[in-house]
Amino acid sequence: MKIKKVASIMFAASLTVSGLAGCSTGNDSKSSTTSKNGETTIEFWAAPNPTQQVYWKEIADEFTKENPKIKVKVSPMKESPTSEASIQSAIAGKSAPTMSENINRGFAAQLAESKALVPLDTLDGWDKVKSDRNMDNTMKGWEFSDGHQYVLPIYSNAMLFGWRLDILKELGYNEPPKTYSEMLDVTKKLKAKFPDKYVWAKADIADPTAWKRWFDFFMLYNAASGGNKFIEGSEFTADDKAGESVLTFVNDLREEKGLLTRQAKDPFESGLGIFTDIGPWTIAYWKEKFPNMKWNETYTLATPPVPDGMDTSNVSTFSDTKGIVVYASATKEQQKAAMKFIDWVYSNPENDLKWLEKTSLPPARDDLTTNDSFTEFFEKNPALKPYAAAVPNAIPPMDNAKYNDLQTLIGQQAFNPVVKGEKDPKTAWEDMKKAIEGALK
Amino acid sequence: MKQKGQGRLGWLFASPYLVYAVVFFAIPLIWSLFLSFTDWNLIAPTFNFTGFSNYIEAVKSPGVQAAFFVTFKFMFLFVPLVIASSIVVALIIHGLPKFKGLFLIGFFLPYLASGVVSSLIIKGILSYNSPINEFLRKTLGLDIDWLGNPFAALFVVALIIAWKFTGYYALILTSGFESISKEVYEAAMIDGVNPWQRFWKITFPLLYPALFTVMILSIGVTFGIFTEVYQLTGGGPNYATNTWQMEIFAKAFTNLQAGYASAIAIIASIVTFISIFIIRKLLEMWGKRNGWA
Repeated sequence: MKIKKVASIMFAASLTVSGLAGCSTGNDSKSSTTSKNGETTIEFWAAPNPTQQVYWKEIADEFTKENPKIKVKVSPMKESPTSEASIQSAIAGKSAPTMSENINRGFAAQLAESKALVPLDTLDGWDKVKSDRNMDNTMKGWEFSDGHQYVLPIYSNAMLFGWRLDILKELGYNEPPKTYSEMLDVTKKLKAKFPDKYVWAKADIADPTAWKRWFDFFMLYNAASGGNKFIEGSEFTADDKAGESVLTFVNDLREEKGLLTRQAKDPFESGLGIFTDIGPWTIAYWKEKFPNMKWNETYTLATPPVPDGMDTSNVSTFSDTKGIVVYASATKEQQKAAMKFIDWVYSNPENDLKWLEKTSLPPARDDLTTNDSFTEFFEKNPALKPYAAAVPNAIPPMDNAKYNDLQTLIGQQAFNPVVKGEKDPKTAWEDMKKAIEGALK
Repeated sequence: MKQKGQGRLGWLFASPYLVYAVVFFAIPLIWSLFLSFTDWNLIAPTFNFTGFSNYIEAVKSPGVQAAFFVTFKFMFLFVPLVIASSIVVALIIHGLPKFKGLFLIGFFLPYLASGVVSSLIIKGILSYNSPINEFLRKTLGLDIDWLGNPFAALFVVALIIAWKFTGYYALILTSGFESISKEVYEAAMIDGVNPWQRFWKITFPLLYPALFTVMILSIGVTFGIFTEVYQLTGGGPNYATNTWQMEIFAKAFTNLQAGYASAIAIIASIVTFISIFIIRKLLEMWGKRNGWA
């Protein structure tokens, strides 16, 4: 009986222990956050995609060879259920890394508001990083409303609109339209010749999901307003005239039957639509999946259309950009080591070139089109050249911690109803403004 | 003395599950309750107690109100659909002379399929330029916005989930059919009962216990819909397919409002508990009144 009892106790205990052990991540945060024997270990979370993980592992190995006192442990950022949620859980569970990449400005604003990030401009060596990487101009748009810099942008995808050049040529155009009225002319000609085709065939334009506004409304708004800040701190500072002109333009496109808001399979690639937002990642995707999409034959790229009478050169657009942050939970030694690592990476343009070659995402620097290090790459990849040229005019997302709610309101109150013909542009803009001002209080 | 010892042994054997229940159910529930009375986002070093303000804000929110009504709309579409389809499948399998197990496995497979993959396939099939829609437009002049029309979108989601669960529920119902004695049917045949009467007067009452289980399970499913909605409609159009899980996910993991999302989760669990309790009681009363239960 006694043996039975002991056996059952051991069985129950082993089940419990193994059950709980299964729940452990196996991470011992202490091991990566302490300095011993003069060696500092920093943990770096790379974006959850193999290309970026390989890049950072290679870079970290090279760095450690030259700086044996600093060990950089690169591991992939978890996505359970999103990378943002993983970071949130890690901070809450006191197991945040020293630094991570893949942070957009809106999320950085949420983290900064919660004092979870180190202002990079307070660390020694920040100014050197900016000048070494030649990114003073790019960084201006990254300053947060409290005057600090929390993110070092790694890449800046200056979003451009793709045009089906082959179809434009059939309509008698050799280049994409640049202004609203030129685009409406194209719409009329397209519908006259190809009634089943649309100018802009994209279900997302009728969807209120916050991030989707980056790739329609903000591209057009930044272009129409010359890069005016939509929100400044907790103030609604959008340019009313530019905003209303964007909504009026979209409404005009709808009235001309140029918009298709239904879910469609590869609408641009199939030619159902002739205009859509294109990021540099799409070019690599097309090479593999749609080899018939050829630069300057099937498609071309252009900055967003602007209201009539506006200068059509140096047009502002939205920048899909992410960068590196250092977490406030890191020790002073780790923060210092992190800045040393950042400086080592970005003081050498070859590292940015390596990034560009691996990811096709343009590094966030001002000299991308003038620095000789990148000349050969862009000669080999001419479709990516317009992205490099647009980097200085690319405006990053707003730095408001409520950006999700605010961008949802842009969709719900203004952009989506206008696209669907449910509101007139003026009312839509006023409704949106009122709702955003209410949310900012 | 012997009884006391046996009791201890019972507790010991139950301890792994009890520990599991405490770690993964009780502690998160208490933690969630605590969070729901704060404005904490889990990141900030400090937080404030906000009383019932998260609950008040949630009740007023259009997203939460939509989730409440969408769940019941979905229930009225999904439950009859899945019950009818699983009865049909179970009847077909029950009538097969051979390979019943094989067919049951075949119908059960969708239950194991990834919701993400099946949703993506459906999304492709229903896209504007899919062969089906091209055919409907060009041949019949029908232009249906499957995922953009509020009713159609909810119906599509209900259909996919019904497809997924039909095999599972058919498995339960088939065992119910198999348990009905053949002698009862033979006696009824001698008495001149027609097939319609046979189903309603014999099969249905004797199948009621299995049917009761399937009904309660399917009602439970309606409160936990996420993957299909997330992949197909994102809760739209205009919240027409917004579910409790979608709302909790958006607030917790997109807006990082852990306190507010916890309040929604608590409200959702209360609504779920009360709804299932009432529906269960109604079903039991229905069964007792007709002498089935």
